[in-house]
Amino acid sequence: MKESEIVSTISRKLAPYILLFGLYLISYGHLSPGGGFQGGVVLASGIILLYLSRGIASTGKVFPQEKLVVTEIWMFFLFLLIGLGGLIAGGYFLENFLPLGKAGEVPSAGFIFFLNIIIGLKVGAGITLICFYLLR
Amino acid sequence: MKSIGEILIFLALGLLLVKGIDVNLIPPSGLKDYFVEQAVTETGAINLVSSIYLNYRAFDTLGETIVLLLAVSGIIMLFETKR
Repeated sequence: MKESEIVSTISRKLAPYILLFGLYLISYGHLSPGGGFQGGVVLASGIILLYLSRGIASTGKVFPQEKLVVTEIWMFFLFLLIGLGGLIAGGYFLENFLPLGKAGEVPSAGFIFFLNIIIGLKVGAGITLICFYLLR
Repeated sequence: MKSIGEILIFLALGLLLVKGIDVNLIPPSGLKDYFVEQAVTETGAINLVSSIYLNYRAFDTLGETIVLLLAVSGIIMLFETKR
């Protein structure tokens, strides 16, 4: 099928803003509606838009599948490590061991901020991998 | 004739559902009130959804991430092409 100029141009211009919006949803997850899961799915939708419009070859250079697999696995281990950090700090598993900070600022709320980032990257990599393998 | 029977079955089910809704039922509010009052000072997050699913129920979130990891592993196992 012939490549459409409109689809190619619009997707290339739109995808960075979709990725930026996903990162915003993740990093402000403890302040406003959003969070790790939603922001991760928005990240994945930006990558899938690039994949559908530009093809696997050029998208795979920017987001290689091996790196996505590594991200998916290591983010899970980081989640477990943060959970074990609560045990090391003298509490129970997955207890907040970081200072809470001032409510309403971006790096606040202890480990919720970091867990949001971890879950966002993990969900983004996972949904992207599922779509890469199913659409191929 | 067959579709009339199906419509009747769905109407009966819908009637059961409407009958089952108790408009005077007030949901228990103890836990909700506790979260609204205490969650910001206990967890530091303004978004109560985040404070619940990443602090009070973080173990449940760990299970969800395991589910996603297993789904991705299964799909990669099924759809991996021989290089």
